[in-house]
Amino acid sequence: MADLTESMADLTASTSSARRARWFSSAQETRLGVRQVGKVEYGNERSVVPNTINGAGLARDEGPPAVELCDIHKSYGTVEVLHGVSLTVRQGEHVVIFGPSGSGKSTMLRVMNLLEVPQSGSVKAFGVEYGSARGNGVVRGTALQLRRTVGMVFQQFNLFPHLTAIENIVLPLRKVKGLSRKDAEARAADGLQSVGLRKWAAHYPGELSGGQQQRVAIARALSLDPRVMLFDEPTSALDAEVVGEVLIVMRKLAEMGMTMVIVTHELNFAREVGDLNVFIEHGVIVESGNRNIYDSPVSERTHRFLRAVL
Amino acid sequence: MIGSTIYNWSLIWTYHGQLLDGLFVALKVALTALVLSVAAGLVLAVWRMARPPISWPAALYINIFRGIPALVSAIWVYFGWSLVLGIKLTVYQAAVVALVLLYSAYLSEIFRAALLAIARGQREAGLALGIRRRQVFVRVIIPQAARIALPNIGSMLIGMVKDTSTFMVIGLVEVVYVSENIVNATFEPFVIYTAAAALYIFVAFIIDFVFRVLESAVGGRASGRMAMLLTARRRRRLERLAQGGSDVAEIYEPLGAV
Repeated sequence: MADLTESMADLTASTSSARRARWFSSAQETRLGVRQVGKVEYGNERSVVPNTINGAGLARDEGPPAVELCDIHKSYGTVEVLHGVSLTVRQGEHVVIFGPSGSGKSTMLRVMNLLEVPQSGSVKAFGVEYGSARGNGVVRGTALQLRRTVGMVFQQFNLFPHLTAIENIVLPLRKVKGLSRKDAEARAADGLQSVGLRKWAAHYPGELSGGQQQRVAIARALSLDPRVMLFDEPTSALDAEVVGEVLIVMRKLAEMGMTMVIVTHELNFAREVGDLNVFIEHGVIVESGNRNIYDSPVSERTHRFLRAVL
Repeated sequence: MIGSTIYNWSLIWTYHGQLLDGLFVALKVALTALVLSVAAGLVLAVWRMARPPISWPAALYINIFRGIPALVSAIWVYFGWSLVLGIKLTVYQAAVVALVLLYSAYLSEIFRAALLAIARGQREAGLALGIRRRQVFVRVIIPQAARIALPNIGSMLIGMVKDTSTFMVIGLVEVVYVSENIVNATFEPFVIYTAAAALYIFVAFIIDFVFRVLESAVGGRASGRMAMLLTARRRRRLERLAQGGSDVAEIYEPLGAV
């Protein structure tokens, strides 16, 4: 995580090293070390992964799985929006999910932290099955535990408007990590610093631009040391001129080796960071594969979508 | 003066002690009832928002007790409960219960509206961060709903103070009860009831002021001198935390827009 800050500092050129934010206090160093291993693996050049249809990513043999969705069916009332979707997100991997509106891509993302509870199928993270047990004797984690492993950033930012930027980060640090107010505030200040917003700590979300709000939201999610970050159209609600500042933060996060799942319409960004790119339509994964998917999709439908968008 | 009557306004001063005692009783009843009604109203609001079969008792309660006048409620609680249920309440207790029965129903609808006004994403964001449901409700939803509900809670409190005036029928020594006694001794109903009205209006202004301050002190940046004073310490602490980060932000921003 210190990497994020340092990369940001490089970006911001003349920042003195003393002012560089420490994302996390020393207590987190051990866990950071573990993640760095993941990063090293990620740093190696990947072999070209052939595009596969449906059995998404089965051909890949990179790191161990982070999040696994298996045969997820999700309905609202009588309308089924996900028809048995399976996806494996590997550690350190950046998965991009794209597709037309109403295709079920956001729903799929929200299943990954059980904001949407599927009617059937399994949600696994780091080998543990989550969700309510259906009597098959499998030990399952609770939604709460899952959400403490998987962070999420929303299209509408969803900052708490009654709290200042820093309090937005302090609240979950206290309630989830059980930190004292002093420790939580120190860490939240560092978090804001690393997205370049410490100066705005005492401002309310309503006083920040959309881009700034989204950066606070990212800092808020990151402050809880998630092992996976979910992004639900993080730039869709932003003015064009501030999309860039959010993408910079996300790119840095990706370079650090954070496992990310991104639902986005920013296909240029997706082409840049996406290790596994998933095209979904009508609640079915039509096609998935590496970056080549954008230039030479296998499916005719993907081809038409990309031609319309890119 | 209109007409030939000479009004003896000095009576107000003569009896101001009794009138203020009456007002004190009225306020004590109303404020106690407010605290209890807010708690009960919140429970009812959440209950009312549950799935249909579960929500029915709450809906029934709300519709029954919104429909009963305070006077009837007081007589019913004070005399009825002791006759039928054998529950003997003091006059003060009966007055509080009578108000809570009615105002918890009113307030629950106010709270329900306020809770419904909070965007769904707020709860989702709290849950997605791994905060427990109850904490999300208490720390994220309630504070935002409070700001929406506060003006209406203030109106309810004014209504409660006024409704205590009907409790003279169960023997609560509040403003009207006291006034009635003074009138019987002085035969100056106009003067005394004008004084009583002035007291109610005065209280309404005070309540309005207090709730305005509360409103501007919660749920976002404080505005107004009183609210600023109330939140000064917290603001100073947060602003201190903001110090030291300015350089990065300044350099970073133009770059971010590239």
